[in-house]
Amino acid sequence: MVEANKEIKEGIWSWVKFLRKGIGYFAFALHRLTGIVILFYLYLHYTVLSNLLRGQASYNAIVRSITYGPYDSFLVLDFLLALVIFYHGANGVRLALNEFGIGLNHNKALFYTFEIIAMILLGIFDYYALQFVGVGF
Amino acid sequence: MGAKTEMRYGSLSRFFQAITGLLIIFFLGVHLFVAHINFGHPVAFFNSVLLQLRDPWWFAFFLIFVYVITYHGINGLKNLIDDTSISVRAKRRIGIILYIIYFITIIYGTILTILVVQIPVPS
Amino acid sequence: MVEEYEFEIKRKDESGKVYYQTYRVPKDQISTVLEGLLYIKENIDHTLDFRYSCRMEICGSCGMEINGKPRTACSTIVKQLKKDHVKIEPLKHYRVIKDLVVDMDPFFEKYKEVKPYIIRNDDGVYDRELKQTPEQFYEYANYSMCIKCGLCMAACPIVGSDPQYLGPAPLAAAWRFIADNRDEGAKYRVAVIDGEEGTSRCHFSGECTEVCPKGVDPSFAIQKLRKVSFKIELASLFGRS
Repeated sequence: MVEANKEIKEGIWSWVKFLRKGIGYFAFALHRLTGIVILFYLYLHYTVLSNLLRGQASYNAIVRSITYGPYDSFLVLDFLLALVIFYHGANGVRLALNEFGIGLNHNKALFYTFEIIAMILLGIFDYYALQFVGVGF
Repeated sequence: MGAKTEMRYGSLSRFFQAITGLLIIFFLGVHLFVAHINFGHPVAFFNSVLLQLRDPWWFAFFLIFVYVITYHGINGLKNLIDDTSISVRAKRRIGIILYIIYFITIIYGTILTILVVQIPVPS
Repeated sequence: MVEEYEFEIKRKDESGKVYYQTYRVPKDQISTVLEGLLYIKENIDHTLDFRYSCRMEICGSCGMEINGKPRTACSTIVKQLKKDHVKIEPLKHYRVIKDLVVDMDPFFEKYKEVKPYIIRNDDGVYDRELKQTPEQFYEYANYSMCIKCGLCMAACPIVGSDPQYLGPAPLAAAWRFIADNRDEGAKYRVAVIDGEEGTSRCHFSGECTEVCPKGVDPSFAIQKLRKVSFKIELASLFGRS
């Protein structure tokens, strides 16, 4: 069986071949990808928070360096992360509703609706987040 | 094929994944709002984190948040690994390892939070 | 000068050598991809192998990847592909026997696993027919349209990464019987349909529904199956089966 599998399996690359497929496939591929990114960030976040134990000076130095410099280029990644989280969340709400048997016949409409709402929320969030970092419009 | 005859509770697992996902929408929504919009300061510096955690409600909020989001993440990763073509035995082993990682993470998170609360707030 | 289609076909000979071969087929001789293949076999290359039978989307034999998408060759009209270059490959996720002929046995084995027949608790001897209202019939009618062409299995990303996964068609078949009011076998199927290779492996990319030539909706069926198995699993947790 395993030998036969070797010939027929596409491997995990089959998850990301969303070109020329339905929107559901695209949503599925991106949901996996964004999930991995968020899990990675989650543990990175825990690591940064662990530095609270090292005292005020040490923790504030880290936070300051990634917010105001010299490592402030991380902020770009932060905005990408926000995009990823909002995407994953919106698609996740659709999938959760599906799980409870809601909207099974209107998946594409639900996907677009939730994603548009999420992107509007992301825009608002990014606007305020930028204001606080000190970037004016 | 023997493994397929026992009850696996796959639907229950997916149900919990969905429930925790919806909970995260609430928790993360509040967290993002408080940490990045309404904190009065763009970044959570040492003092502000400490003061926030001293409130028992926020303390409970963050602990439950950590339990829920880590479960969702680790279980999601387990689902991903289950979709690969490695053997059923390997999948089970990796599943057990991932749940061990989950418990280590939440125990570490709990201890960390308790320790941080006990740090006196610098003036 | 007769206009021609270009059929680029992925072939595999007896020695296992895989290569692409291009044939030119006159546009005025054919309308469907299957007709194109038959034209090649009759006029250009007798060694080209492919499966077909009914030519009318009933038998489900002629599934193949046409321009990167699983389709039945008999119901794919070349003109509607809007390209003169037609790339034909055997279905993905199946072992290729020769040219476009794939081994469907593992697919049917999976199919058998979900017990695709009516299961009753009684002895099965009746002096009159079992009643069914039109509403009860329409509960499962869509799923009984499946022709077992196996296109959904080739489209599913999870079948691609884990060949052990039951896949859309067998699960849709399970729902076809569970949704049937005459059937009482849901509790026997749950261990399989919701086992390690069952519904929980589906992540709803919906591609199975996209490619189904008969309009069957396996992704919908899988979600419905989850609801059924959820109830049965919850009951079993509290010691009721």
